[in-house]
Amino acid sequence: MNSNLLWVLVGCALIGAGASLVGSFAYLRKKSLVGDAVAHALLPGVALSFLIFEEKSLWVLFPGALIAGWLSLLSIEGITRYSKIKSDTAIAIVLSVFFAVGIVLLTHIQQGNYGNQSGLDSFLFGKAAAMLPRDISLFITVDLVLIAAIWLFYPYLKLYSFDEAFARSVGLPAKRLEFLISTLTVLAIATGIQAVGVVLMAALIITPAAAARFYTKRLSSMLGLAMAFGVVSGVGGVFISYLAPSMPTGPWIVVLLSFMAIFTFIFAPHRGVYQRYMSQVRHRRKMNDENVLKLLYHLDEANPGLNYSSTDLSAKRYFESGPLQETLKRLSQNGLLKSINSRYKLSETGHHEAMRVVRLHRLWELYLNVRMNIADDHVHNDAEAIEHIITPELEEALLKELGYPALDPHSSIIPGVKPALP
Amino acid sequence: MTVLEAHNLTVSYDKQPVLWDIDFEIPSGQLVGIIGPNGSGKTTLLKAAMGILPADSGYVRIFGKPINEVRERMSYVPQRQSVDWDFPATVMDICEMGRYRQGKLFGRLSKIDREIAADALERVGMTSYRNRQIGELSGGQQQRVFIARSLAQQAELYLMDEPFVGIDAASEETIIALLEDMRSEGKTVVLVHHDLHTAIEFFDWIVLLNTRLVAAGPKADVLTEENLRTAYGGKLNLLSKVTELIRKKEYPLREKRRTE
Amino acid sequence: MKYAVFLVLTLFGCASAEKPENGKLKIVCTTGIIADAVKHMVNDSCEVQALMGPGTDPHLYKPTKGALDLLSEADIIIANGLHLEGRMQDILEKLSRTKTVIFMAETLPGEALIYSDASAKIPDPHIWFDVMLWRQATGNLGEQLRAVAPACVESEKMNAYINGLDTLHEWTGQQIAGIPHSQRILITAHDAFSYFGKAYGMEVIGLQGISTMAEYGIRDVTNMVDLITERGIKSIFIESSVSSRSVEAVIAGCRERGFNVSQGGTLYSDALGGPNSGAETYSDMVQHNVSTIQKALQ
Repeated sequence: MNSNLLWVLVGCALIGAGASLVGSFAYLRKKSLVGDAVAHALLPGVALSFLIFEEKSLWVLFPGALIAGWLSLLSIEGITRYSKIKSDTAIAIVLSVFFAVGIVLLTHIQQGNYGNQSGLDSFLFGKAAAMLPRDISLFITVDLVLIAAIWLFYPYLKLYSFDEAFARSVGLPAKRLEFLISTLTVLAIATGIQAVGVVLMAALIITPAAAARFYTKRLSSMLGLAMAFGVVSGVGGVFISYLAPSMPTGPWIVVLLSFMAIFTFIFAPHRGVYQRYMSQVRHRRKMNDENVLKLLYHLDEANPGLNYSSTDLSAKRYFESGPLQETLKRLSQNGLLKSINSRYKLSETGHHEAMRVVRLHRLWELYLNVRMNIADDHVHNDAEAIEHIITPELEEALLKELGYPALDPHSSIIPGVKPALP
Repeated sequence: MTVLEAHNLTVSYDKQPVLWDIDFEIPSGQLVGIIGPNGSGKTTLLKAAMGILPADSGYVRIFGKPINEVRERMSYVPQRQSVDWDFPATVMDICEMGRYRQGKLFGRLSKIDREIAADALERVGMTSYRNRQIGELSGGQQQRVFIARSLAQQAELYLMDEPFVGIDAASEETIIALLEDMRSEGKTVVLVHHDLHTAIEFFDWIVLLNTRLVAAGPKADVLTEENLRTAYGGKLNLLSKVTELIRKKEYPLREKRRTE
Repeated sequence: MKYAVFLVLTLFGCASAEKPENGKLKIVCTTGIIADAVKHMVNDSCEVQALMGPGTDPHLYKPTKGALDLLSEADIIIANGLHLEGRMQDILEKLSRTKTVIFMAETLPGEALIYSDASAKIPDPHIWFDVMLWRQATGNLGEQLRAVAPACVESEKMNAYINGLDTLHEWTGQQIAGIPHSQRILITAHDAFSYFGKAYGMEVIGLQGISTMAEYGIRDVTNMVDLITERGIKSIFIESSVSSRSVEAVIAGCRERGFNVSQGGTLYSDALGGPNSGAETYSDMVQHNVSTIQKALQ
């Protein structure tokens, strides 16, 4: 396998891992945008390093980046604490000011002699394509430091991120923990801008954590998953930009990451938009099913033994015609209705099920009437909604509470109530 | 024995004094309520006691010593809303946090630690929820988890910030029973309470605040009509006008004395 | 209060606009290479200045306020054209409506131009590396200057310069001919040397395209590594005005494959060298480039 590709793959994978690890803590502590500010703040640090040392090796520019990153964090902290400015404004100010100074320095360098030789503008959008083994050794070092620090101090970091007040009350050294987190953040970001540049770094920090959150309830898995997203997008972005000529690697990494995130927001189990939508669809179907069954039960109570067409049903109670047809079909397929020539009646199972719904409705009406003193003519609408929600456990509790009653507030029989065994 | 004492304690928030020259002593083994109207400094008093907020002047002593020497003997339960419950952690994770201490080697827990945490969870009746994601809990359940964490610390003094806010009746019952048990075990529980009326039944001792200490002592002594009027009746409005003025003009509040 | 601020700003503005008038004709050139040529053609009655210094990449150069001031005060502006000064096109076009703006490369006949892509739409602007083409362009420039500012042009100086170019061209041809055929491949950071290659018989390949504005990807790097190792090329070159990162990556990649391609030296592509670089004039620059190439590849 050709070496240049390998170096870039490894480099971007390492960067993705480190950034997402650090970003998870930033995300949980609600300091995601601070990562953006730090990334932009690195630019003047890099430029000044170059101006002073006139050297463009990474190991020389890196300390400059670190110092600038640190300064930006201190500035945000200072502005928030000692002035009336709130933290989000402080972040925006520090981001803009530092970045502007960086651009001024960068332009000054570029207008001067040997300016473009510096390759400093690659810090804006990253220059993954030309990664070298000596860059990789820097990345490995940084990642090892990150992982070691986070592994060693994991319980404290977890506690501090969750509940800072409690952590302080227990005596955890808050200042030192802050220092640790800040240093790790600046390290990861200073490394990461090699691949994706200053402008896009925020995405690499925040997106893996935001997406990983959707899939897990434990911090350790979230960290692992975020790292996985970081690595996969790093490697994937490299491959995409390799297969298509003259494609920039950094932006592709971010695009890939964004796709993964969008997919997560939509399709993640439980919390994804799609899942929640499907839940709602299921609920609506259940309601329609039960309403149709109930209606047939009532009609049977009045005039036993008849069949009804969908038009008949619509006349008795409002249904939208499309969903009604679907519901009737579904109930027939599930064996709850018998259909002959588009006329329907309850099957035995259907009758049993309908009885359950009616029972719940009447039980709830009784509960509202007796326990909450709501007048009989006011209980129906509430019961219409609640009847679909009551679970068997709740039903049992209701029955016990009401003493296994026979009649509802309107003196209709509550069907299927089996008194408790003594 | 005096468990918690404050002397000439003054604490400011944003240049505005929130607690002004507070003096009281709390004996051990009591259920103590800190009550007062909104903005009277109740939460601030707790935070100052824990050393989380620095005092402008005056000091707090716990078991007769400065806070930093006795942290293992006290426990703090912050307000439920001060935390983001969407954090990826289970109920047991939070409970076990009570066993982390400064100086524990990198925070690793022993088997005994885990047993203690499990016991604490049992005491609040949340064992069956141990692996539940904390974001899925109701308010009352969350509060019970917080208290379990606190119990796991096995402290002698418990400081709780409004633990009864926004919880269901069942949780409230459990917590009250628990606190009464703790008192009979000789522990001291100091609560910031948001509701004056229930305070009357529940506490032994009351600290009545309105930026100044209105009264502190056994319930019957403190909850007199005159005291209540002083605390809640707006008699100190003039005081709040002056402190507002201080805040706007940004006078330095007092010369800083060396903290004792 | 507000008036005071306004007053101060106005004074500032006036102050910066005042410059001593010395009655000389002001000629402003974009690149140092052009300025060098012009200096060899004019006498003291003209002032010649270059906007870009040594090491400045003309593809990426964005004029500062100081540069814009120079341009607006200039009597004659000379640029390369063909989009070499990629980020100055709009300004130059605007200025050409009120001033004399000469685009040197655009005075050349169409057939002389090399097109970088198959559709023959975008011409390569690096015309100066074919010494004969440069001779032609400077000749045309001289004529135009004579027409516009006859008092400036010193015919003797100009002729000497142009004759010097003839000699340079011959010498270059000889030098390159001395390189063995299999090694006559010039690999640099960007495609600046096509005209050189065409004129003197070398195959020319750059990692980036004809403008350094274009990004290069990993593919471009690995293709280059393949090419070098397959054909056993001895040396590749970095450029003074472009970051050497890409070239370093290529060299490292070749080394991994066990092929030691060396870094042959720095070539001056889009800009002259600085003081003491040995490439401060066009002629020196060409000589330096050619010697470097010849030494590395022979």
